[in-house]
Amino acid sequence: MISATALTRRFGGREVVRDVSFSVAPGEVVGFLGPNGAGKTTTMRMLLGLLRPSGGEGRIDGRVGYLPEAFTAYDAVSVRSYLRFMCRMKGVSIGDVDRAMELAGVGKLGRRPFGRLSKGQRQRVGLAQALLGRPGAYVLDEATIGLDPRQVVDARGLIRSLADDDRAAVLVSTHLLAEASAVCDRVVVIAAGRVVAEERPGAAGDLEARFLRLVGEAELT
Amino acid sequence: MSFARVRAVAGKELTVLWSSPVPYVVGALFQAVLAALFVDQLHAREQAVVQPLFPLAGFLLLLTVPIITMRSFAEEARTGTLDLLQAAPVPPSPLVAGKWLAGWLTTLAMLLPTGVLVVIVRWLGHPDRGPVIAGYVGLALLAATLTGVGVLASSLTSSQPVAAMVAVFGLLLLWFSNIGSGTLNAGDVLAHFSLSERLRSFAGGAIDTSDVGFLVAAVVVTLAVTALVVDSRRLR
Repeated sequence: MISATALTRRFGGREVVRDVSFSVAPGEVVGFLGPNGAGKTTTMRMLLGLLRPSGGEGRIDGRVGYLPEAFTAYDAVSVRSYLRFMCRMKGVSIGDVDRAMELAGVGKLGRRPFGRLSKGQRQRVGLAQALLGRPGAYVLDEATIGLDPRQVVDARGLIRSLADDDRAAVLVSTHLLAEASAVCDRVVVIAAGRVVAEERPGAAGDLEARFLRLVGEAELT
Repeated sequence: MSFARVRAVAGKELTVLWSSPVPYVVGALFQAVLAALFVDQLHAREQAVVQPLFPLAGFLLLLTVPIITMRSFAEEARTGTLDLLQAAPVPPSPLVAGKWLAGWLTTLAMLLPTGVLVVIVRWLGHPDRGPVIAGYVGLALLAATLTGVGVLASSLTSSQPVAAMVAVFGLLLLWFSNIGSGTLNAGDVLAHFSLSERLRSFAGGAIDTSDVGFLVAAVVVTLAVTALVVDSRRLR
């Protein structure tokens, strides 16, 4: 379960996130949509305990798999060594490395140093480290960025299976409305730091028109 | 604190550090400058003694250890890898201890080749074994303290050059605080914190428990403060 209750964050005197509330139940994929600077990453960082809220509360039950927008690891360390390192950091069995590598599609890259991977391969390593230990919740910030079309389809299938098969609560931030439409059970739209809609995504075209209208209205107010 | 985590962090740090040119370049320069200054001291004294090696090595460590430690937290904060560890969530203590351990082991490895200078002196004369052992114990403890200060400086910023400069100037202040003690009319208070005074006893062949206690306490304090800084960065 992931829940945000009246989350608020001020930087200086400026309120960048205001009274944001939503929840993600086990077995559910929720899309977190919003234009650049809307407060998505700030909200996610508060949920993860990386940033102190100025008000409200963020909570994630149990272990969480986190994929940041700009994922990076250590250039000199091989993919397998990195994932084993992350297992030890998370306190989970290193026997889970092979499963995570296969699911994320990096099974053949185990011995390659992170610094010698392509952008898409790096992103998949990021996905693999999030999968370690089968967490009950995931926070994925732009999970499919840098992937080729085939990999995007695979990653969307994987995200869906985390909710359907593992009963995990999955919060996905994305700029791709087609992705939200294809993967998410619900979308939470944030603009100018506040939630402006929370609904089922519907078809991609409908979602796009509605998203533009909601964001436009929020920015005008 | 989980020792498995400390070992994992130290192992990763050692891999990252030794796959970069930093320890090789810094180590080579350290040996070259130390050898030149030590040979000059032997010429000046016209005696085959080991004692001058330790203050010279100690002073050069002030300038080199911060280069070894500067990336420890600063680089992880800059690239965002620290966020992943903190979201895991990994408490700060194994991170700090692991990074300190890797920095200390690297510094000790850098000191190993100085043994060649000791062998040369033994070949030229018959120096006592006691001051050599005490001197190296002192250098190892000093290196532990310097590494602690270096890791602390690295936790304060996401810029490696700034971390190195903060550590170097902080350590210079500690090294020369015995001089400031006289100038500022502060009695023995500042001299008590002088790293050069602490090392002087070891170089003289004495392993004084108060010196050992001071250097060990300095490590504990710097690592505890670093853990607080890392945790406060997370919850800004």
